[in-house]
Amino acid sequence: MLSRVADSLYWMARYIERAEHTARLLAVKLESMVEQTPDDASASWARVVEALTGDDRAVTHQDAFVITRRLAFDRDNEAALVNSLAMARDNARQVREALSNEVWENLNRLYLRLSPVTMDSIWVHSPARLFREALEEMHALEGVTYSTLSHGEGWYFLELGRHIERVQLIGRLLDAHFRAAGDAVRGPKYFDWLVLLKFCTAWEPYTKQYTASIRPQKIAEFLLFDAEFPHSICFSVDRMTEALARVAPGAPPARRAAVERLAGRLKAAVDFGQVDDLMSGGIASFIADITKQCEQIHKTLYSSYITYGAETVL
Amino acid sequence: MQQEAFANTEDFGGPDIVAAPGRRAHPGQDAPYSQYELARAYDEMFAPDGAVRPPYAVLDSRLSTLPLEELSRRQQACEQSFLHQGITFTVYNDNRATERIIPTDLLPRIITHAEWARLEAGLTQRIVALNMFLRDIYSDGRVLKDGVVPRAMIFGSKHYRREMRGLPVPHGAYVNICGSDLIRDESGEFVVLEDNLRVPSGVSYMLANRDVARRAFPAVFRSMNVRPIEQYPLELLATLRSLAPFHEDVSIAILTPGVFNSAYFEHAFLARQMGVELVEGRDLLINDNVVYTRTTSGLKRIDVIYRRIDDDFVDPLIFREDSSLGVPGLFNAYRAGNVMIANALGTGVADDKAVYAYVPRLIRYYLSEEPILNNVETFLCREEKSLSHVLANLDKLVVKAVGESGGYGMLVGPHASQAEREEFGAKIKADPDNYIAQPTIQLSTAPTFVGNGIEARHVDLRPFILHGAETKIVPGALTRVALKRGSLVVNSSQGGGSKDTWVLS
Repeated sequence: MLSRVADSLYWMARYIERAEHTARLLAVKLESMVEQTPDDASASWARVVEALTGDDRAVTHQDAFVITRRLAFDRDNEAALVNSLAMARDNARQVREALSNEVWENLNRLYLRLSPVTMDSIWVHSPARLFREALEEMHALEGVTYSTLSHGEGWYFLELGRHIERVQLIGRLLDAHFRAAGDAVRGPKYFDWLVLLKFCTAWEPYTKQYTASIRPQKIAEFLLFDAEFPHSICFSVDRMTEALARVAPGAPPARRAAVERLAGRLKAAVDFGQVDDLMSGGIASFIADITKQCEQIHKTLYSSYITYGAETVL
Repeated sequence: MQQEAFANTEDFGGPDIVAAPGRRAHPGQDAPYSQYELARAYDEMFAPDGAVRPPYAVLDSRLSTLPLEELSRRQQACEQSFLHQGITFTVYNDNRATERIIPTDLLPRIITHAEWARLEAGLTQRIVALNMFLRDIYSDGRVLKDGVVPRAMIFGSKHYRREMRGLPVPHGAYVNICGSDLIRDESGEFVVLEDNLRVPSGVSYMLANRDVARRAFPAVFRSMNVRPIEQYPLELLATLRSLAPFHEDVSIAILTPGVFNSAYFEHAFLARQMGVELVEGRDLLINDNVVYTRTTSGLKRIDVIYRRIDDDFVDPLIFREDSSLGVPGLFNAYRAGNVMIANALGTGVADDKAVYAYVPRLIRYYLSEEPILNNVETFLCREEKSLSHVLANLDKLVVKAVGESGGYGMLVGPHASQAEREEFGAKIKADPDNYIAQPTIQLSTAPTFVGNGIEARHVDLRPFILHGAETKIVPGALTRVALKRGSLVVNSSQGGGSKDTWVLS
């Protein structure tokens, strides 16, 4: 597979994952804000903004309109939903020949549908609805990708992009919640922990595992270490490891080893992590470590398979 | 989704649509043709007396029973389909890029079996002669020594590539992919307007138009025995393969300028349809005169490149050094015979406006045959007799500078003022070699859906000719339409659209 094509597929999947995550957070947040006191809603909005943009300034729930607009439609905000979709589509356009018609048309339709939307047109009635519909279309896109694209190298680059992004997105979201966990005033309340599960589509799977009793420690355990739930960090790390074993099959062994060594280290950290060790404030540093390892994998992936110099192989 | 939009029992399950032979539709009076004007130009559908021409009888009987709203719905479905497939070009406005579709008209243009047979024979004859001409001027120059074509015209052309002299090309085929522009004159005869021998585009629109027109008129399509065109990508692949016959496993790539090029959709489309790699200049590198692509597993050799970038940009070491689209060293790899490039470099010398006028003579010279397809009558100002005729008839002619394109350096006699004509006349006298003249051309008109009815719009015809080990012409073409009433400009950059072309078997 052309290195440039691999690069575009990888980023296409990262941007789609980012768009989906943003849409889900906005949908869940807009649906749940009516059930919170103004103060709790404000604190919760602040965590959403921090998880999506890294901006940790305080916000108030009256800003919901402004925040939603910034996170969803503001072309000047790099992390905005429409920008993520535009980037995903730009990458897809550059590798049309590597995608099935169905994948391209689903993504293109979704972009064409969301890009002209304005806040005024959605805010008055049911602002969450648009994001729910966008999520449905993204799930359809995911399904069509799974069922119409050959599960060859290109597909594994998509998998890689999706899961390396997901690890970092879930990581930031957990971080924003657990760092404030000790704060009795602004920290997450019972309802916020429930919303956190919904942010990760984890509410039902969690209750099946732990019953409906909501406990932060169990949430951390589930979202970090559950091997079967698709939005847990452990699950995504497994998919990354698998994908890394499948891409660039003909690359020289030394290069492959460099990438696989890093993947093995990350997998070990997640496989042998214990939530009990983390509860006394260790979650933040654990997530920071995982994030750093993902960045190293990204760099080594690029230097081994994508941007390598011709002089190193001739 | 589009399938559903067209769901219509009459179209899918019903009996074949039967034509009413010899029906007069009264264009200009009866719906849906109440605004249909028959003027000086040849009309594809109606004879001058308003009788429906036989090939259009089936379409006419469908159209006369189809409510305009339904036609409108089908037209919208066509446009939606183009938009979703991303068959668009980008317009930049206030730093905001908006994408527009290239307008497509759902009414097919119909060509009979006999008309096509003549076109096919004529185009084959032409591409063979043009390739012989190219081989000649890049080797012995017999045609120049014999005085058939002036030497200065060839060696003075900015498209003549001295680097190509003495370089053999497979099968002597310089032009492997050609998209000639033809028009139908007032008498109904197809004549060649232009040979596009460099990097012709539009074939993806031919295929996309077929897709939507077949869905818009399934029963009409079925009952008319339209010849298929879907094999084009396969024929193109076979043509490209035939350029590297010594390899078992030929590795082929399409070289594109990238996603910002207006024909990018077509490059990606063809790569997908043929199952070959789509590459940009930055994906290729040359080592020891061999071309490689950079893949995730290492470097992979490329044998044949179908390039969709102009000569000037192919190799910054040999041609334009400011080009970042091409590949440094590509030309040397080509010269070494390690990679084949289609079309060969330097083909542009044979499609400039002056050489065009000589093509009928070239056919006689190389093939000892009379041209099957005529040119538009062309006066070469370099020839004295023609020069005096041109100067005496400036008010009736279109005069074009040889090296220019896109409407620059041009006088449209009938629309110019006396002063403009005198000024241009002086320019011609000062440098007659640089000018040709043609009568003002009436393109034929074809029925086109315009929203509230069906009207006549001017059209041309671009068939696609493949020439490798053998010549292949898929029985179809891109019919370009000037969508503005009365306009003769079919270019998509100036309000042109396109429609499907049905060649009957």
